[in-house]
Amino acid sequence: MPEPLTFSDRIRNRRPLLIIAGIQIVLLAFIATRVMDIVIVEDSREVVDGVETITLRRELIGDPLLFALAAVGMALPLSSKNLRREPVMLLTVQLMIVALLIFVLWPVGQIFVEGFEGSGGDKRFSLENYQRLFSRPMVARASRNTVLLGITSATLSTLIGAVVAYTLTLTDIPWKRILRVLVVLTLVSPPFAVSFSFILLFGRRGLITYDLLGIRAWSIYGPDGIIMVQLISNIPLAVLILMGVFSSMDRDLEDAAEDLGAKTFRLLRTITFPLVTPALLTAWLLNFISSISDFGNPMLIGGDFQLLAPQAYIQRVELFDPQLSAALAVLLVIPALFAFALQHWISNRKSYVTVTGGARTGQIRKLSGWFKWPLFSIVLFLGMFNLLLYGSIFVGAAVKAWGFDFSLTLRNVKGLLIAIGELRNSLFVAAVAGVLGGFIGIVLASLVTRRRFAGRGALDFAGTLMYAIPGTVVGIGYIIAFNAAPYLLTGTFFIIIVAFAFRRLPVGLRSGVAAEKQIDPHLEEASLDLGASRPRTFAKVTFPLLRTAFLAGVIYIFIRSMTDLSAAIFLSSARTQLFTVRMFNVMVRGSPSEAAAFAALLIVIIMLALGLLGRLTGKSFVDLFRIT
Amino acid sequence: MASEANFATASIRLENLSKQFKEILAVDDVTLEVEPGTLVCLLGPSGCGKTTTLRMIAGFEDPTSGKVFIGDEDVTEMPPYARPSAMVFQSYALFPHMSVYENVAYGLKARRTPRSEIRTKVREALDLIELEGQDDKSPSQLSGGQQQRVALARALVIRPKVLLFDEPLSNLDAQLRVRMRGELRDVQRRLGITSVYVTHDQEEAFSIADVVAIMNQGRLTQLGSPLDLYRRPADRFVAEFVGLSNVLPAELVGSNDKGADIRVLGQMIHSRLAPTDPSASISVVLRPEAIRIVSGKDSGIPARVRALAYIGPIARYTVAVEKDGTELIIDLSNPSSDEFYEEGTSVQIQLPKEVPALLS
Repeated sequence: MPEPLTFSDRIRNRRPLLIIAGIQIVLLAFIATRVMDIVIVEDSREVVDGVETITLRRELIGDPLLFALAAVGMALPLSSKNLRREPVMLLTVQLMIVALLIFVLWPVGQIFVEGFEGSGGDKRFSLENYQRLFSRPMVARASRNTVLLGITSATLSTLIGAVVAYTLTLTDIPWKRILRVLVVLTLVSPPFAVSFSFILLFGRRGLITYDLLGIRAWSIYGPDGIIMVQLISNIPLAVLILMGVFSSMDRDLEDAAEDLGAKTFRLLRTITFPLVTPALLTAWLLNFISSISDFGNPMLIGGDFQLLAPQAYIQRVELFDPQLSAALAVLLVIPALFAFALQHWISNRKSYVTVTGGARTGQIRKLSGWFKWPLFSIVLFLGMFNLLLYGSIFVGAAVKAWGFDFSLTLRNVKGLLIAIGELRNSLFVAAVAGVLGGFIGIVLASLVTRRRFAGRGALDFAGTLMYAIPGTVVGIGYIIAFNAAPYLLTGTFFIIIVAFAFRRLPVGLRSGVAAEKQIDPHLEEASLDLGASRPRTFAKVTFPLLRTAFLAGVIYIFIRSMTDLSAAIFLSSARTQLFTVRMFNVMVRGSPSEAAAFAALLIVIIMLALGLLGRLTGKSFVDLFRIT
Repeated sequence: MASEANFATASIRLENLSKQFKEILAVDDVTLEVEPGTLVCLLGPSGCGKTTTLRMIAGFEDPTSGKVFIGDEDVTEMPPYARPSAMVFQSYALFPHMSVYENVAYGLKARRTPRSEIRTKVREALDLIELEGQDDKSPSQLSGGQQQRVALARALVIRPKVLLFDEPLSNLDAQLRVRMRGELRDVQRRLGITSVYVTHDQEEAFSIADVVAIMNQGRLTQLGSPLDLYRRPADRFVAEFVGLSNVLPAELVGSNDKGADIRVLGQMIHSRLAPTDPSASISVVLRPEAIRIVSGKDSGIPARVRALAYIGPIARYTVAVEKDGTELIIDLSNPSSDEFYEEGTSVQIQLPKEVPALLS
């Protein structure tokens, strides 16, 4: 039997508890000083007998609510016994909760708060904005346009993506290797570069429309242009998702159906299609979110076709109506969240495709020429078109004046020198955001896959939430949340880095979770069992084994941050100008050739980053973007 | 490992240990004492709670209630890295990004052992498992048996007070399994280290353990030496689990302090132990090798051969009793040509005259 504890034993046992309590208090105090401050303000001023008396009073500024939420968030994991026993784990979980609270939930929540505030600095709850909003024809029009565009764009890109994916995985068309790369090429370009090259080719002085076909009356600017650009940008995602499904589909099922007498079309309709339905829905929903969130393309090519994301920007930056802008952001974020929730629900259900083990998968079908060659032409056309888009950017950068003078020059490349400061800023911000987001993603992934504690589900949710939030909304939310004392972060690199890191965190998190699930959980247990602490286990076992996922996350976030415009345009300031913002301004105002040089440089940087990824991890860019 | 004598070992004591996973009570009020130096096998079908029990000893699962003691120390609240136990995993859990040497040195490095001491100890451990000179290989270059030995060396090198084995041999092929369990047993005996060994393989458990603890549906059903369990199973589950058994209903004819007389399929059998509750319905366990097939007429119970299989040196018959169709399994060892009964043949069977105990 163990002997009764002496007094000193009891103190010794209590010491870890005291240390934890101490750290908790210090951490809370730190958060408090970050989000709140007490300032001394003038209360009244009176002059009696020539003596002026100024009464001062203390006033609390900042967000006591955020502090209260942080305190609650920190208290949550304290309820788990196994975390209380391990101070380092407890602290890590708490830091993650506080970080996600401050940098994800709070800024997004601010959109809703500001949207409901009265105008002219009146902080009380009011529906005034929404009354004002709905009294404007623009709002109704922009909402309707956004939803219709989203549905059209998502439907078309998913259908075309399905055809392309089917052709590339299950048929015997030639040149598959190169076509697989070409059809997803636009994944790695800044999204609005696609609309820019559309303008080069089909614009008012477009190479194809003006010079080749001599068309004068038709204009690319408007809904048709946006849909085409979005198709080109979104088809690759659908192709990747569906290629994954088609290549893991059990060939025996199709053979069985054929054996029972089903011909090609009936086969597709009765077997192939039902099997891929969940993946089709996923692709549709993700493309819907991507379409309604799109900011750069409509700004460049949308003409006077009004959409929510660009309008939210215009209201805030050009018309100085922040409340209306926030209200528009709310209208934008609701369908996006809805689509995201639906996608989450679908992906959590069991899919048909993965049920069978040891099946014959991804086997090639021999198609008759009547099916084969039309399918091949569609894929070939798409691949060639992508190549043409990229080619036009590089050619555009090399000529004097696109559309007028096609003689070669280095002037545009030299012109990039004026943006060297912006380039440096962007590289710095994207690199730091990449490492930060990648690291948080991996830590979070190992917490949510390996540990059981109160609030784990909430942590996972908050870590993934940003996937659904349009960049415009992130930008506006960050500006609202962090532009007042005491945490005046607007205009700093810090806010941009944090915004980029947390905006792309979902992909880092998901790729980390996928990688964690590949690792035998006994490895981490063996390390603990041999006496290594949790942090040591993470550093020596977990992290080295997740290295590939980490690097993929870092490079993904780096590329997405390098090419981000929708959030960057709100967050970059005179002191922290970013390359994409400068490029966007040149595209809108400068000469096409000048702008083409910017886009070309960005594409080269992305290619280099992807090359680095290949060298470090052996993964291709297709693997990188397959993470959804 | 040169100084095997001063290997400090300790007892393990589980007190009313329970573990609830959502709706499932995985471990139900298990109390168990493992004497220093002995090897206890937790034996049971999958899902019986044996692995969960082991993981609570290692500290990977928190008990819902109850306590775990290693020696006199209550380790219930201790994280795994602070416990004086070391585990050998079913998947070996060798770190794939480290060499054999680094794997074995891992626990010593975590303890901040001086580098020169680490080198000596790792060398000693690799010698012990006969893997000297393989330091720089990566685990994936080793065979299954070698990986198994590295996992054992990695656990032993930190001088744990108790060793825990989680189905350590189930990833090996049948022959290697038999050889490795002999090696494991040797090392455990030589070091005299208290061990808990989880397996679902009855033969493995019986060949390696000092004491076998049978678990079923989270509960500890019976505890005893392998022979005890085979001779006197406490209930039908144990009887069937520790070996192929015929469990038959019996009719109690009379009982006294010297035992009991029962009637089974019309034949009288004497039990050396009387049932505790004479009014309850009783049954008897008849081992397949205890039943005989006899050739002479009217000398036994008429039955008909249903199926026959040769399993190594044993002929296993399935017969149905003519009277009520009760199916029995009978093993005949050394089947010779005159003891051969084809399917469909009518035979006479004879039950044993005496059994050690009854099930109630």
